[in-house]
Amino acid sequence: MTGQSQTGAPDGAASPKSTRKAGSGSPVSLPHRHLLGIEGLSPIDILALIDRGDMFADLIQSDTAPPPPFSETLRGRTIINLFFENSTRTRVSFELAAKHLGGSVLNINVAGSSVKKGETLLDTATTLNAMHPHILVVRHNCSGAAKLLSQHVDAAVINAGDGRHEHPTQALLDALTIKRRVGRIQGLKIAICGDIANSRVARSNIHLLATLGAEIRLVCPTTLLPAAIDMMGVEVFTDLEEGIRDADIVMMLRLQTERMEGTETPSQREYFNLFGLDRTKLMRAAPNALIMHPGPMNRGVEIDSATADDVEKSLIRTQVEIGVAARMACLEALAGASGDRR
Amino acid sequence: MTRTLFTNARLLDPAQALDAPGYLLAEDGLITAAGAGSADTTLRKDAEIIDCKGACLAPGLVDMRVQSADPGAEHLEDLHTLLHAAASGGISTIVALPNAKPVIDDASMIDSLSLRATRIGGARLRLYGAATRKLRGKAMAELGLMAEAGAVGFSNGNRCIMDSLVMRRLLAYSAMLDRPFIQHCEDHDLTAAGEMNEGETSTRLGLIGAPAEAEAIIIDRDLHLIRMTGARYHAAHISTRAAIESIRRAKAEGLPVTADTAPPYFMLNEMAVSTYDTAFKLSPPLRSEDDRQAVIAALADGTIDAIASDHVPVDGDAKAQPFGPSQPGASGVDTLLALTLSLVHQGHLELLRALELLSLAPSTILDLGGGALIPGTAADLVMFDADSSHIIRGSAFASSSRVTPFEGMPVQGRVLATYVAGAPIFRA
Repeated sequence: MTGQSQTGAPDGAASPKSTRKAGSGSPVSLPHRHLLGIEGLSPIDILALIDRGDMFADLIQSDTAPPPPFSETLRGRTIINLFFENSTRTRVSFELAAKHLGGSVLNINVAGSSVKKGETLLDTATTLNAMHPHILVVRHNCSGAAKLLSQHVDAAVINAGDGRHEHPTQALLDALTIKRRVGRIQGLKIAICGDIANSRVARSNIHLLATLGAEIRLVCPTTLLPAAIDMMGVEVFTDLEEGIRDADIVMMLRLQTERMEGTETPSQREYFNLFGLDRTKLMRAAPNALIMHPGPMNRGVEIDSATADDVEKSLIRTQVEIGVAARMACLEALAGASGDRR
Repeated sequence: MTRTLFTNARLLDPAQALDAPGYLLAEDGLITAAGAGSADTTLRKDAEIIDCKGACLAPGLVDMRVQSADPGAEHLEDLHTLLHAAASGGISTIVALPNAKPVIDDASMIDSLSLRATRIGGARLRLYGAATRKLRGKAMAELGLMAEAGAVGFSNGNRCIMDSLVMRRLLAYSAMLDRPFIQHCEDHDLTAAGEMNEGETSTRLGLIGAPAEAEAIIIDRDLHLIRMTGARYHAAHISTRAAIESIRRAKAEGLPVTADTAPPYFMLNEMAVSTYDTAFKLSPPLRSEDDRQAVIAALADGTIDAIASDHVPVDGDAKAQPFGPSQPGASGVDTLLALTLSLVHQGHLELLRALELLSLAPSTILDLGGGALIPGTAADLVMFDADSSHIIRGSAFASSSRVTPFEGMPVQGRVLATYVAGAPIFRA
């Protein structure tokens, strides 16, 4: 085992840099070698990553900034996007983020290959490790896969989504998106709605937003509610209009197609009727409520098009744009760790 | 005539509530005398004298739930290794499950495996016959012929009989043959794709939860069928409070119901899964701390009758995977005695009760006729030091299957020797 587990690191092990006052916008140095989840990150680390991402977002959106790359942090470093599940937006977002920092990027799409899933993970890890990448960005359909990988490679590992467990960079970009639009997270009423049981986005967001002091409500059918979720400090609703009442942020989750007609929800029609967001239901939320969705959306299932495309209220497109900046902050933060072992 | 005289032993026999310094004489494989104090000189005549030097001498352990990888996956563990590993764990009899490849659902397989075991030496091998053909839970296997060939009971391996009609008929038929039915209590429809026990931990880890209720649901259904058929029913590797409460009620009602559990369910809880370490992927899954406490209480009050190792040979590659797709199970014969003794050292059980759980009870449930130090019974014995401490290391196992959820755990209790029919099958 070469990897030090991210969640296993004692809280007291934070490096001096990571305990500096948040908001200075300088490169973040995490006390962990990998970014495997939000759970286990301190509020200071989270805020530092958000602030750094904020700076990168300014840079990306600036008309006067020089063209990318914006930094040489990753020059000479190899970043491998290792995706065992199909993804367009996350993979491209990481690729762009790495290139903006001067890194070389390789994309490996293992999804759809005939090799058995579990075997592929460690076999692939061994193979890739021999090529000495600096950072591995991994997505896998099994919870815990990123952690397992991190125990078998020398590179720093970023979890780009592991099963139903965590998707930390999504939560960071969501928080950054909210912060840039609203200015704060503390005290906001945030409703996370949809398939909570199967959502890694929901888990990472619950950890992150609760850590930063938001009031979190979950809205979902009882068949998609994971056990003992109330232990995570959230309030649970089964009525969408009740759940989003006075909410500042309404975050919708994707309902996987294979769950639409079965024993979890009877039909797409019924799901939209009860749990889909439209203009009428949205009126229950706070007057300036904003809508988010991690994508890809099922229009007409969890959200109707008019609401999703509402330029005043929808942050969905912004989330994608901000994603690159948030991931730049993460890649930069692990660049140091990735270099220590070379 | 071979005579072996064990002297200077701490004789422990739950059948006679005996715990005293004493001696034991074995002649031609049978116990012929045992008693407190020192053996008189007539007993010593022509006998091989084994000085136990104060060590515990008890009935050899009877491990009533062992999975053999032989036949079918001998590269993981063949019968020779298994029977000798059991011997080094103080086990004089193992009872193997029918889920081998091919499935042990035919009398000829019982015959051939039994014969092979006698050639190997090591622990005795007894077998359960598969309850249904290929363990598919549908058509009944030839229970009668397997019983004649020596099957001590019927089991469907790690698959529960889900069809109530099939279950009713299996119980009725087992009752006719006077053999116990061993159930793996799991409502497979309810646990579906479950990866660990359902609860806060499964939610936090994003692993699919298998609810604890899936165990009690099956027992509760089966209790009705037992009332209809009068069959002897044994609930295997019980892990939940709800199931224990059902069994407790059934026993109070006088139903012929027994149960066992395995060390993981009284030593560990679901929190162990927090690092996604696949050594903790077991079937049934590790449960809550409340369930663990209920298992310990049930072992003490007699609701759970026996402790089995629940030994499952697992390929390292099948564990070197993400938690979800990794194979459940772990090695158990090497650690059965020491882990059970930890309940004694922690003050939960008396030593005699622990030994009853490990030998007399399983022997009685399966009509094996052993598990006691009574003259006339087979001289199947274990000699052990109950206090000697060591740290569990899979790499040191005699079993060739070295995956253990107890890696690095300090325990007390060391097997010094194991005897079958008076002859040593293991000496430390």
